[in-house]
Amino acid sequence: MNTFRGYLGLGFAVAFAAATFLPWVAIAQNTSVSSDGKSEQWIHVRVESKEDHGEVVRVNVPVEMAEKVLPAIDKDNLHDGKVRIDSAHANDVDLRAILDAVRSSRDGEYVTVQSNENDVRVAKSAGYLYIHVTDKSENKKTAGKIGKGGGKSAAGHESKVEIKVPIKVVDALFSAGKDELDIVAALKALSAHGDMELVTVKDDENTVRVWVDSKNVAD
Amino acid sequence: MLILAKAALGLGATMAMAGVYVFHEGVIRVDVDEHRDGGSHVHFWVPATVVGTGMHFVPKEKMQQTAEQVRPYLPVLREVAKELEKYPDAEFVEVTSGTDHVRVAMSGGKLRIDAVSAEGDVVHVSVPAPVLRDVTDELELRVPGV
Repeated sequence: MNTFRGYLGLGFAVAFAAATFLPWVAIAQNTSVSSDGKSEQWIHVRVESKEDHGEVVRVNVPVEMAEKVLPAIDKDNLHDGKVRIDSAHANDVDLRAILDAVRSSRDGEYVTVQSNENDVRVAKSAGYLYIHVTDKSENKKTAGKIGKGGGKSAAGHESKVEIKVPIKVVDALFSAGKDELDIVAALKALSAHGDMELVTVKDDENTVRVWVDSKNVAD
Repeated sequence: MLILAKAALGLGATMAMAGVYVFHEGVIRVDVDEHRDGGSHVHFWVPATVVGTGMHFVPKEKMQQTAEQVRPYLPVLREVAKELEKYPDAEFVEVTSGTDHVRVAMSGGKLRIDAVSAEGDVVHVSVPAPVLRDVTDELELRVPGV
């Protein structure tokens, strides 16, 4: 009988301890399920240096987290999730007017520049704005050096920048007042789109990729 | 004999419950190893509950002073702490350069910061996400209007 009482006491103690402990486990599980359950968008940035022992930087940020945290930052030009841009940097170009013109126009190539130093292509297609820039100036410099030294081809010594942004995201970006970029609005618009490659930069020294998908780790 | 057994059982149950309470928020872990002459080796594990409770016993002026110093960062800290709890397992930053390696990630609901240098210095910090929120809340209480 006494042994039974002992076991009963032990049982109560374990039950009480479990009652104290289990809610925390349950909360943790709920959090995990809710955060995994819905398809969240993540922004990934990967920078790879091509040098020996080159650096690799991987940054993965949930879009939702960025939307919440950015408005809390009040530093330099960033306030309330908006970046103030110095109008001087725009060289008196009315970006908003240009954007309106692009948005209301039909799909097509708007800018095509081909020169010895740069190739630039700005186009709109299927709701996306494409900006492709190939900088050949490095190619020329290298070719000059190689020419003096006499020898190998300089092919491939150029940097390429490819940007693909949904027009809705660009709209959102410029939706704030004049001289401001609304980063949070752009992120919200971005999260509505599916997986996509946003920016690719390739040159001799580095490769940079910025993309959005629903994975919480980089490739 | 029976009384002794009952007392032992009661003590054991109390210890178990105290243990469960103390560790229910997890453990803060800090490991620092500097592999050079005179390098420091720091290893400590602290129950997360101790931090929240301990902050109530820090002298008011010290807390006020600390809170004022971190005031500009409190809104960001609050949001980050709140958001981190939504991502119990995720990798946020990873930097590899030769043999240097830095990683910031959430693992099992804990914020983990791991750094390994080429010289062999190692730093591992692990903090349960709710502790960050508790600390932020406590500091915000000291500087109203944040």
